[in-house]
Amino acid sequence: MMTDKDKKDITPRLLDNEPVGMTVQVVRVMGDGAFRQRLLEMGFVRGARVTVIKNAPLKDPVEYMIMGSHISLRHSEAAQVEVTDKDADFCDMEDAYNGIVETEVAGMDPMSDNVLRVVLIGNPNCGKTSLFNNVTGAKEKVGNYGGVTVDSKEGWFSIGGRKVQLVDLPGTYSLTEYSPEEMYVRTYIRDNHPDAILNIVDAGNLERNLYLTTQVMDMNIPMVVALNMWDELEKSGDKLDIEMMSRLLGARMVPLTAYNGHGVKEVLEATMETIEESEKETKHHNVNYGPLIEDCLKELGAMCPELDRYTVLKIIENDQHAVELVNSQDNAELVKKTATDMRQRIERDFNDDIVSIITDLKYGFVRGALAEALTPNPDRATGETKPGYSFDRLLTNRWLALPILLVLMWLMFEATFTLGAYPQEWIENGIGWLGQWIGKALPDGILRDLIVDGIIGGVGGVLVFLPQILILFFFISLLEDSGYMARAAFIVDRIMHRVGLHGKSFIPYLIGFGCGVPAIMATRTLENRRDRLVTILTVPFMSCSARLPAYLLLVAAFFTAKQGLILMSIYLIGILVAAITAIIMSKTFLKHDKTQFVMELPPYRKPTARNATIHMWSKGKQYLQKMATIILAASIIVWALGYFPRHEGQTPQEQIENSYMGQMGKAIEPVVAPLGFNWQMGVSVLTGAAAKEIVVSTMGVLYTGEADATEESASLKEKLQTATKPNGEHVFDPIVAYSFMLFILLYFPCIAALAAIKREAGTKWMIFEIFYTTGVAWLISFIFYQVARMF
Amino acid sequence: MTTSTIIQTIVVLGIVAVALVYVLRRVIKTSRGHGDCGCGCGKDCQCKNKPGKKY
Repeated sequence: MMTDKDKKDITPRLLDNEPVGMTVQVVRVMGDGAFRQRLLEMGFVRGARVTVIKNAPLKDPVEYMIMGSHISLRHSEAAQVEVTDKDADFCDMEDAYNGIVETEVAGMDPMSDNVLRVVLIGNPNCGKTSLFNNVTGAKEKVGNYGGVTVDSKEGWFSIGGRKVQLVDLPGTYSLTEYSPEEMYVRTYIRDNHPDAILNIVDAGNLERNLYLTTQVMDMNIPMVVALNMWDELEKSGDKLDIEMMSRLLGARMVPLTAYNGHGVKEVLEATMETIEESEKETKHHNVNYGPLIEDCLKELGAMCPELDRYTVLKIIENDQHAVELVNSQDNAELVKKTATDMRQRIERDFNDDIVSIITDLKYGFVRGALAEALTPNPDRATGETKPGYSFDRLLTNRWLALPILLVLMWLMFEATFTLGAYPQEWIENGIGWLGQWIGKALPDGILRDLIVDGIIGGVGGVLVFLPQILILFFFISLLEDSGYMARAAFIVDRIMHRVGLHGKSFIPYLIGFGCGVPAIMATRTLENRRDRLVTILTVPFMSCSARLPAYLLLVAAFFTAKQGLILMSIYLIGILVAAITAIIMSKTFLKHDKTQFVMELPPYRKPTARNATIHMWSKGKQYLQKMATIILAASIIVWALGYFPRHEGQTPQEQIENSYMGQMGKAIEPVVAPLGFNWQMGVSVLTGAAAKEIVVSTMGVLYTGEADATEESASLKEKLQTATKPNGEHVFDPIVAYSFMLFILLYFPCIAALAAIKREAGTKWMIFEIFYTTGVAWLISFIFYQVARMF
Repeated sequence: MTTSTIIQTIVVLGIVAVALVYVLRRVIKTSRGHGDCGCGCGKDCQCKNKPGKKY
């Protein structure tokens, strides 16, 4: 126990002022509220050792190592943590370990239909979804950064003749309802009463991961702890006595390596045994908080027999969500008064605030258990980082980090363009051949026109870009699996902060390069609602893969040099417009105080070929499914609108100009003409509102009648290159093509993205987004076209 | 107008009608947040993806 003399000798300093490489001990976290609670839960408790790893390239935030985890905090946030470099003996933390207590709970009723429900919970990025995919055969998205899963996913497996529903919940550091995902997990468990909790912990980072375990233990639900990434623990040289640890925690613990399936069967068997025991036994193991708090828990628990021990403890902590649960009881006022008296008594006794006391006690319990069961590698010095962080010397280097980030992005687009061009040509030739063959095989008539011009012209025009889509998703998969996503957020946080966004917003932005819908869903990891709103409303400016076919078509047709850079410039303009929008929003109608940047930097992991292939395959399949459904149907409709009404004796060009589509196009031409677009381009962006690939398929259908491209084998690229206006001028040139790309980049998000915005932000913001994005697109294309034409 | 032309016109108009109904249904469903948007994250996507394994 730290003596009074020790306490007097400590002159606390602020973590913010500590130099890189320094290891200090936490004395206390100042301030109050949710941010303080989050820091405590992430391990910034009294006595914990913190090492300053490095400043981000733009000086803010700072990377710290605590309990083996790498956490980034802004300077202003680190200034809230008092530390000391004196090697103080805070051994009262270990002294706080009082073992476990057994509580009598009602026995679990076996479900009549023999179906069991098991939920997966654990810290972010601990491997829950990897296990879920392995157990159920699902192919849910995984990645090496926190917050990949933002919703519950359900799957099934059967074992020993019993059917089990497995539910994958979002990762969470605790159940204190600080952020939306914590609220979601807590509410899900409370409302669904699972038969067991399968708690996944990162075996290489037990101290921090087991904090959540202490909360789950108090919920009186049968629990099994799966020690995931067991292979990494073994490689690190640390030794864990699983049997002793299980005894100390009062829960079954099973080693697991989820990504390759080692230990999965054992984990499931242990879960079933635990459920079967819970059906017979009525005892449950809880953290022992010492005589004073245990007495309080017993007394208050007797006054609220319906509530579990976790909730009773939260009532003593004055957690508002927990307090609300007693409001419906007859003795609500008495319960609240008793809880207040207890809280004051505990705070007086421990001479600290209740949140710190409970967090310290929980960490004390974990540390005490680990002191008995875990033998750290004796060769590893204090403050030395664990394996998996060595790449940071280069990738988050002060001078190289930003150039590397830009080069990686350029490489992604250049590879997408150049590598994809070869298979694209093969597919293009195949489609050209198919069009010719069907054209010759079928007699002249409306059916032949539908198949050749409508279906092959429309769907074929988009299908040729499948290789590029696969390559783009391959690169996104590498970024997600390696752990670089969190580094990118770390590197750009200062810039994002300047524009009124959170560093974590960078992750939805990167996901948005693939598809806007999961990107909008990924904003759920942002704690502050206004941060979320600004990110949701700016994510559609990140160019999704559905727009890629249009860029690839136009860049290849009208730019002969530096095609990769032209493509990248489109993406960068999207980022720039998002940044300007964010600045405007965060300084006007979405003004808010700055939010904290507490983010974990996971160790780098080798991306697996299996995962990258699954990711590519699933995206490729979705792309082909889109071709066979919505793109096909839209192409048929666009063709029909461009084919009817029929007029005898007209040239193909006159025919299409007088068609329904032509009339519609002519009606909107005055609006798009100042941007350099003809009516066909106007109609293409209109139909592209349903799904962005339809822009290209519409052009594929509308440009079939071009005079200089009567050969059915001519590719859409060639048709666009030769398309002429009635006065003989070319329709497209590089300026028109770029203006068109800018419009496609910025205008109206697709229907699916709008539905996601409605779901996450509400109808009002969805309507705002429709007008805002389209207005911005028109304005920027207009300025670009008119200015470029002057030179 | 020959019989072949009439049959072809009927077939094509049928295809166009089916396509139109499909697109409208799809757009309405997606705008309500229940469509299979193809991104792998919507609720319907999840419903389709409920595999099971035996141990």
